Amino acid sequence: MKTGLVIIGAGIIGVMTALNLVEKGYRDIMIVEKKYPGSGGSFRCATGIRASFTSLEHVELMKRSIQLWPILSEKYNIPYARHGYVWLFTREEDLEMFRCIVDFHNKNGVPTRIVSPEEIAELVPTIKTDQLVGGVYDPLAGKASCFKALLNPLAYIIRKGVKLVESTTVYKVLIESGRARGVLTDKGVIEADKVLVAAGYGSKEILRESIGVDFGLRNIPKHALITEGYQRVFKPLLIDWETSSYIVQVLHGGFLIGSSLPEEPDKPPRSRLEYPVKAVNVWIRYFPWLAYTNIMRYWTGYYVMTPDHHPLIGPLSTVENLYIATGFSGHGFMMSPAVGEVMADYILGEKPGIPYVEHLLPDRIIKGRLVKEIAVFG
Amino acid sequence: MDPRKVIVCRCENVTLADLEEAIEKGYRDLESLKRYLRIGMGPCQGMHCLLFTAKYLARKLGKSVEEVYLPRNRVPLNPVPARYFIRRDWREMTG
Repeated sequence: MKTGLVIIGAGIIGVMTALNLVEKGYRDIMIVEKKYPGSGGSFRCATGIRASFTSLEHVELMKRSIQLWPILSEKYNIPYARHGYVWLFTREEDLEMFRCIVDFHNKNGVPTRIVSPEEIAELVPTIKTDQLVGGVYDPLAGKASCFKALLNPLAYIIRKGVKLVESTTVYKVLIESGRARGVLTDKGVIEADKVLVAAGYGSKEILRESIGVDFGLRNIPKHALITEGYQRVFKPLLIDWETSSYIVQVLHGGFLIGSSLPEEPDKPPRSRLEYPVKAVNVWIRYFPWLAYTNIMRYWTGYYVMTPDHHPLIGPLSTVENLYIATGFSGHGFMMSPAVGEVMADYILGEKPGIPYVEHLLPDRIIKGRLVKEIAVFG
Repeated sequence: MDPRKVIVCRCENVTLADLEEAIEKGYRDLESLKRYLRIGMGPCQGMHCLLFTAKYLARKLGKSVEEVYLPRNRVPLNPVPARYFIRRDWREMTG
């Protein structure tokens, strides 16, 4: 088998990259997927989308992504809504810290603001605010269907000639005199002019096998559950800062609650009784009616973390025609439209237009030049 | 029988016509059909619809049911009221 570009991983990052390439006229692409499309983090994610981060790299990348989400939504029939985010604070010191973060956001074009418990009650119908000292509202934030966001563009690019190879594991990228020339899979060799590694945590092993570099990726287990679907109660995604847990009424109507438990990284997470206990008890303090909803499904997933919690995006300086897009540290879904655009630019030899994106080149890990957070927490 | 009147998934109100259209559009594995149509994502968790869809898909593609493999079941198998998890000692229990 031979192709122009092999993309390892049919997650949202691989699919969005292929979509941007197809739209620019490059169609000689083969996406090789270990299981089925979206089977890693993409279909397990909370579907939240925001630019309210604490580094310029994240803010600029997400501002571009938020420009692109409505366009993609229209073009590929992806449910998307700018329903906002609200951070909830029960402690005065958290609110104080966020005043600096809101300043940083506002200076960089992200319209967050501090809100009082009364304003929170208006933004979030039925919420009990008696334990709150305040919050932060991000009106630019939103959510989208993770299923349609991946499946609809994928169906489109397959119609345009992109090949999807499922249930096929890539062992390593084949490299010859400093250039990528294909991949070795459990079904044989696929020759290619260029290779993009977008395999989530799987990228760690593939890159170690191929170039002997460990980029320090860590898989952090996360837990999520969803209730049956109900009519719209509230629009924003809510974050309880004290327990670092979130709740979002997804566009289909279910209440999705996500959080973590104290666990060891890099081990496969199991479903644990403690998780629904945490999820329910954190959120019935705000929504007593939640006690009467039915929990329908509980699943686990990962954040693929890098040493500086920023993604690895771009070509490698040491190997020609080898590209990396992984380590999104829990934010891959929301960033995927902008990352797809950036990766397509890199692969076609063009310069990406998003400010600071070159700070996210994977070389920084090897050279020890990590991304610094500008707004410092605590 | 009119495929628009045959209900495949009662929880999410999916008809045989919807299923045929999705297969036609290129969604040819059960995992993708589940996410595209929401078959098996409602309160019954696929106990009524997924096996039917698997058999239908296998016959349509000339594969065995094993080849179109069934998505993994997630806990709880039946919807459980959230109030069953209310505990005074939840903080100690969940670290």
